[in-house]
Amino acid sequence: MASSGAPATTGGKEPPVVAVAAGVQSQLPAAVKRRRRRGATRAPASLWLFLLPAASLYVAFFVIPTLQAFQYSVTSWDGLSSDFEYVGLDNFTNLATNDSIFRTAVVNNLEFMVTVVVLQTLLSLLLALALLKNTRTSVLLRAVFFFPTILSSVSVAFIFSFVYDPTFGLANTALQRIGLGSLAQPWLGDQNLAIYYIGLIQVWFHAGQMMVIYIAGLQAIPAELYESADVDGVSRWQRFRYITWPMSSTATAIVVAYTTIQSFKAFDLIFALTGGGPNNATEILSTLIYNTAFQNFQFGYAAAQSVIFIFVIGLITWAQRRAISRFQGEV
Amino acid sequence: MGFDLARKGFLAIYAAIILLPLSIVVYTSFKTSQELFADPFGLPRDPSLANYSEVLVGQDLATNVLNSVVVTGISVPLTVLLASMAAFAIARIPGWPSAFVFGAFLIGMAVPAQVNMIPQYVLFRELGLTNSLTGLVLINIVVTLPIGIFILTGFMKTLPKELFEAASVDGVPPWRTYANIVMPLSLPSVSALSIFLLVIHWNELLYPLLFITDPAKATLPKALLDFKGEYLTNYPLLFTGVLIASVPMVVAYVLLQRFFVAGMTAGAVKG
Amino acid sequence: MSTTPVPGLSRRHLLRFGGIAAAGAGLTACAGPGSTAAPEGSAAPSGGAGAAGATGALSFYHWRAEDQGVFDEVISSFVAANPGLTVSQTIDPSDQYQSTAAQRAREGDVGDVLPTFRGAQFEQFVDNGIYTDISDQAYLDNYVPALIESGARDGTQWGVPYQLVFNQPLVNVEALEAAGVSEIPKDWPAYLAMLEALRGAGYDPIAFPGADIGNAGQYISTMAMNTGPSDDMFTRVEAGELAATDDWWLQTLRQFQEMSAYFQPNSLGTQIDPAIALFAQGRAALLASGSYHVAAARQAGAEFPMDLAPPITSEPGELKYEGVYNATFVLGVNSASEQQEQANLFIEWLSDPENAAVYANGTSQHLTVDGVEYDNEDLAALQPWVTANTLLAPRFQFNNLDIRNAMENSLIAVVGGDSPEQAAEQAQGIINEQLGA
Repeated sequence: MASSGAPATTGGKEPPVVAVAAGVQSQLPAAVKRRRRRGATRAPASLWLFLLPAASLYVAFFVIPTLQAFQYSVTSWDGLSSDFEYVGLDNFTNLATNDSIFRTAVVNNLEFMVTVVVLQTLLSLLLALALLKNTRTSVLLRAVFFFPTILSSVSVAFIFSFVYDPTFGLANTALQRIGLGSLAQPWLGDQNLAIYYIGLIQVWFHAGQMMVIYIAGLQAIPAELYESADVDGVSRWQRFRYITWPMSSTATAIVVAYTTIQSFKAFDLIFALTGGGPNNATEILSTLIYNTAFQNFQFGYAAAQSVIFIFVIGLITWAQRRAISRFQGEV
Repeated sequence: MGFDLARKGFLAIYAAIILLPLSIVVYTSFKTSQELFADPFGLPRDPSLANYSEVLVGQDLATNVLNSVVVTGISVPLTVLLASMAAFAIARIPGWPSAFVFGAFLIGMAVPAQVNMIPQYVLFRELGLTNSLTGLVLINIVVTLPIGIFILTGFMKTLPKELFEAASVDGVPPWRTYANIVMPLSLPSVSALSIFLLVIHWNELLYPLLFITDPAKATLPKALLDFKGEYLTNYPLLFTGVLIASVPMVVAYVLLQRFFVAGMTAGAVKG
Repeated sequence: MSTTPVPGLSRRHLLRFGGIAAAGAGLTACAGPGSTAAPEGSAAPSGGAGAAGATGALSFYHWRAEDQGVFDEVISSFVAANPGLTVSQTIDPSDQYQSTAAQRAREGDVGDVLPTFRGAQFEQFVDNGIYTDISDQAYLDNYVPALIESGARDGTQWGVPYQLVFNQPLVNVEALEAAGVSEIPKDWPAYLAMLEALRGAGYDPIAFPGADIGNAGQYISTMAMNTGPSDDMFTRVEAGELAATDDWWLQTLRQFQEMSAYFQPNSLGTQIDPAIALFAQGRAALLASGSYHVAAARQAGAEFPMDLAPPITSEPGELKYEGVYNATFVLGVNSASEQQEQANLFIEWLSDPENAAVYANGTSQHLTVDGVEYDNEDLAALQPWVTANTLLAPRFQFNNLDIRNAMENSLIAVVGGDSPEQAAEQAQGIINEQLGA
């Protein structure tokens, strides 16, 4: 009689569940066990009832609206009038060929995403490496660095609109105090660089969260690997390159994936900070859709933009999954 | 030796980058706007709580705090309830129907809010759910169901089958299995999810922005944003608002730090 | 909830709307004593001030949170004269108001009396039939006729613009004296000379809120008022008749770039509040926004007398206009309201010069109402501008926000260092897209 004993590989601490199950099973009468082995597991119909509340809300308020977005996207509805026209694919052709603001938003989105992913991954890895030991200072600093992530984006937006103020704000004044006053910038007023400066804010916001993931990943690396490396007398850089980096590939995959999704969701931060301006310099797809619908009263056109948005996210997610699995495969 | 110095230096600089802005926010809240622009980084010469009374009473932020508490206080448990029930069903029902349902919820995580926000706005408008806290609770639940179901299903699938089978053989109805066996066992996952949802629902901006126009019904993030519109950029008032809005989260964080970390990373790892 | 997901009004809403319109028509037909029944349901009869017996609870829906207290004062005197009526204020933040007022108004649940921003929002309301025709109202006579023209379309008066603002830079009179400038310049060389003198006296000549297009963009009116091809130039730009790449606009951009040398450093990143602070602290001599910030500047600590100093871009002797003005806060009656007559009573109350004076002096704003006594120092100081030779601000001729943004952004671009030709081309590119779309 097969029994599911406690698996040997969990390092000695088995979840209580397994023990309970093991205990339960060993007390079942033999007849029952035989019946079960013949695959008599049936799901009672009442189980489906458990699904009902969640599923009905989801369908009514999520699935249907998503489908409706597709419907709106082929109209020229302004969101207010009672009549509207079907315009076929006109909205889409216009977006693809005749709308430089849309192109700007797409480019901004990509610039923002790449900046944030690269900087945040790097920074969180460095922070994790620096705070790996569980000393008291480390634990305290980890708490401090993690803190910003629980703030609301609106709060962070206000803080940094002050930091970045060119006349009275922290950034330029700090530069002046340390003698680098010539580097003073208009910051968010610089239409070419504003989106990157916002990327820095996003990193400030969430690097601590990613740092924790890295710490978990790094602390799972078995100490013996490092010990044997030390015996062989390898340099710090080699330790990192041949042990730390490959062994934390899962953590890296998670951090990159989540940071990407997070950067697409940066609506709250950018909306509260600049609203997409100046002159669409910080406009990303999510703020553009909102502004097109609720400032320009072009619901149909905005819906078309949102349909393209889904595809862009889908594409990027897919591309990332492939890159990550190759990365993990190589490593 | 040099390496350790570099490491300490790096940490010190980053700590300053995090703490400086935050501390300025705190002591600016005791200044007036004039004082701030006259001396942005100095400590308040004449600290006063005038901003606090203006914000809480004059601007009625106290009402917004209440709204946030009510909305979050209802959204989080309800989302956990509905998600856990659905996860229970998905984990227990074999075969492709449940895999299909699971996939349908999963796709929800990939669809960004801006895609269906316009039809959702029209729908809520027609249903009269705009400008209501009920509407906010509803939409909060709907948009976080996918991640909740994902996390909880993942956990529940790790529970051994024998547990359920033993229960069903003993004639325990599913809802009892759910309530008395599965939920207690899922506590770590549920608590992580709860914290994750707590932060997300408390800080939610988009839906209050869309649905709420009545300032008395707004939640904190929206109320803060309205400040910016009304007060141009009166930073001391804004910062006072920021502090008041953050206090609940900060207190919770200090007390439940470990859960916060587990929760926010569970959301990230699974999401 | 409709069964087929259809955008726009469902049958339920159409019925409801139709019902309200019918009720409104019915009510106006049997309105209280002293009123005349109107032939069509949508034109409300004019009632005498304080028509005895008028009852109802009016909703006054607007965006000026800073005026709430003063409105309360005016309302309490209104209610004292009309015991059967109450008025409650519903206030939304201005961005929100522009996005959602039309929708909320149409539902009829808020805003018996409600204002619109002049320009795109007013057009939207008229296009969608949200306003009631008030052409026959007696209170229209209380206004300076030229100033309420922007509330009319094709001869029908749909609303009364109430607030009178001057969208041109404020100037610190003491700074002018310190720089030896005795009068506001009337041509371009003199204007530049004034800025140079201010710089010499130690000021940042102009505090420019470059990060806030709503304020920075006001310059589009004053920079073009004297050198533009016609008074309706921006309507013609929107129609495609004129282009940003035309010589007149290139010249405007060139002059703006010249003037930007006198802005504070890194002005493109400055929001409006820091700009006001610079001005109030006496570090900047001019504030590039408008008369609507007088109160804010005072609150920020400014103690000096103020005047307005619009840029005059014409050569000596070729001055057409001394400045621009805008008449906004266009008060109107909601066509979906069931209290048409009561709503007009309230507007009538606001149109009375005595009541209007309470509002004007309390909020430091000029009004389009004739004969208002301004006892507020700043209002009195700026009163000459009410009768000066000013142009209705062309900025509000734009109905397409993308086109307006494109034009205003060309101004911002030259501040940032782009050449006028570059900036104009970029702007025209967007305009062409919008026109072709």
